[in-house]
Amino acid sequence: MNTATPPPWAESLLRAVLAPSEFETLAGDLLEEYRESRHALLGARRADGWYVRQVFGFVVRTSMTWGVLLGVAMVARDALDWFLPPPDFHTRAAASTYFAMSVLLMAGFRASWRSGSWPAGGIAGVVTAGIAAFISLIGAAGLLAVWHDPRTLAAIAASGGLSEAFTLPLFAFVPGMLLGTVGGSLAAAGRSLHPV
Amino acid sequence: MADTLGAFEQAVLLAIIRLGEDAYGRAILNDVATRLGRDVAAGAVHATLERLAAKKLVASRLGPGTPVRGGRARRFYRLEPRGLRALNDAREAVDTLWRGLRWPLKGSA
Repeated sequence: MNTATPPPWAESLLRAVLAPSEFETLAGDLLEEYRESRHALLGARRADGWYVRQVFGFVVRTSMTWGVLLGVAMVARDALDWFLPPPDFHTRAAASTYFAMSVLLMAGFRASWRSGSWPAGGIAGVVTAGIAAFISLIGAAGLLAVWHDPRTLAAIAASGGLSEAFTLPLFAFVPGMLLGTVGGSLAAAGRSLHPV
Repeated sequence: MADTLGAFEQAVLLAIIRLGEDAYGRAILNDVATRLGRDVAAGAVHATLERLAAKKLVASRLGPGTPVRGGRARRFYRLEPRGLRALNDAREAVDTLWRGLRWPLKGSA
């Protein structure tokens, strides 16, 4: 029997994001496929790569809904600022910041509640921020590709400029980790008070 | 109302039928990948099975682990009557669409 083992950190990551009952069967499926098929066919290094890709697939899926929600909201905010600029951006900025914070908190809370793992919150926060940043960058580029007339470019400049539209989403990773961890901690505390 | 199935859901349900008593996660993954002719992510199959279970189209039970799995349990799936109905409806819908046409299609399109 092949006793090769995939990268331990990848298995730990999988354990962190899945509910214990899911981890038992899914990690078993992945290990079986890794040992009986991939390792023999691809060799150790590429089999490890296959395993890591599968784990990342699970990690991304656990945060996909939150990431898409936040990403779409960020694109909507760009569109509003560019096409319907307000006299004062403060209210809009405050609303979108609180919305983003709520999404990241909820992503962390939900991930930790589901998996029973405290670190799942921080992981979910980072992944949610990553998915949102990706959607936001693609969305902003798409808007700019279609609408780049002088009036729109002036509105973009007044709302913070292109640099803000294309760099701000990338700064969401650290808040994502922090807020996800806070959400995850709340979930862990909730689970200890009301065991599922 | 009848459950509407996507192509991937149909592939997963058909894999469960084909595999019979051996329909567990890894076997379903490999069957779907073989039928679709491409690599399929384990997460995609798992998410689909979760969705089908939530819609009560499939049911599952745990089976014993094996040494190659590190002793971890297998989750075996079977179709519920509702899942069978949904598959039959999906096949009927495709047949209806194709009725009166010869396959493969020929022409300049």
